[in-house]
Amino acid sequence: MASTATTRAVAGAVKVVKPIFSRDLDEAKRRVRELYRAWYREVPNTVAMFQLDITTRQGRNKVREMFDKNKHVTDPRVIDMLVIKGKMELQETIHIWKQKTHVMRYFHESEEPRAADFMSKFYKGHDP
Amino acid sequence: MAARVLQQCVRSLARPSLRLCSGNLSVRAAVAPVVTIHRPLSFVADTRRTRWLVQSRVSLAGVLCRQYGDLPPLTLETIKDRVMYVLKLYDKINPEKLQTSSHFMKDLGLDSLDQVEIIMAMEDEFGFEIPDAEAEKLMTPEEIVQYIADKKDVYE
Repeated sequence: MASTATTRAVAGAVKVVKPIFSRDLDEAKRRVRELYRAWYREVPNTVAMFQLDITTRQGRNKVREMFDKNKHVTDPRVIDMLVIKGKMELQETIHIWKQKTHVMRYFHESEEPRAADFMSKFYKGHDP
Repeated sequence: MAARVLQQCVRSLARPSLRLCSGNLSVRAAVAPVVTIHRPLSFVADTRRTRWLVQSRVSLAGVLCRQYGDLPPLTLETIKDRVMYVLKLYDKINPEKLQTSSHFMKDLGLDSLDQVEIIMAMEDEFGFEIPDAEAEKLMTPEEIVQYIADKKDVYE
């Protein structure tokens, strides 16, 4: 499967590297879709097991948000790495190795958003 | 859904050949509306489940009325109706703009992850797994209907 050796193309920019799992972008996207399916199916079980105070719909929107955050990535190896991390999170959630607080951390409930405009930053004391 | 089955009951009651089990059917028809439970499901319309509780297929041969516990047979029409029903329930789709030939990405402006969600809803509705390699090609409701008809051996 990982058969391409590390070679440097003579012409210049293109570098052939060893892939992590998928050889091209389509395979990487397929892995992303599989991971999304697994998460989508897992959310109602998570809400029930951890006795979370959110609805299934909110949970699924949060999953979609986390996936959309990395929508712009095009490198297959980066996508594979993100899929691996997503699978790790999924495993920890399914086996209840996490706790309620770890799952609710995704929702940033008690964090204040950082100030963006000049006056708020000034009042808080941040450098502009 | 229940209305259609009741119609079927009335029609079969009218046929003289089914006189033997007409009494049975009338009892069933009375029970059927009580038995169908409508559970509010947010996205997945599990019309299959309500049909389980309504009475099963009546043998049209007319000699014996064997009531096997089976779903009514799929036709292209029913598949299309169920697919469109599920799609209309999806909140990211505008039900007025939806047609059988509307492309999910180009016409309805959906994402690839939205398309995954739609295919998962179809899996839940029809009760069989659709592998991702084939699921990524299903981009219009028409294609979904064709795929399900292929898998379930429905033809006309």
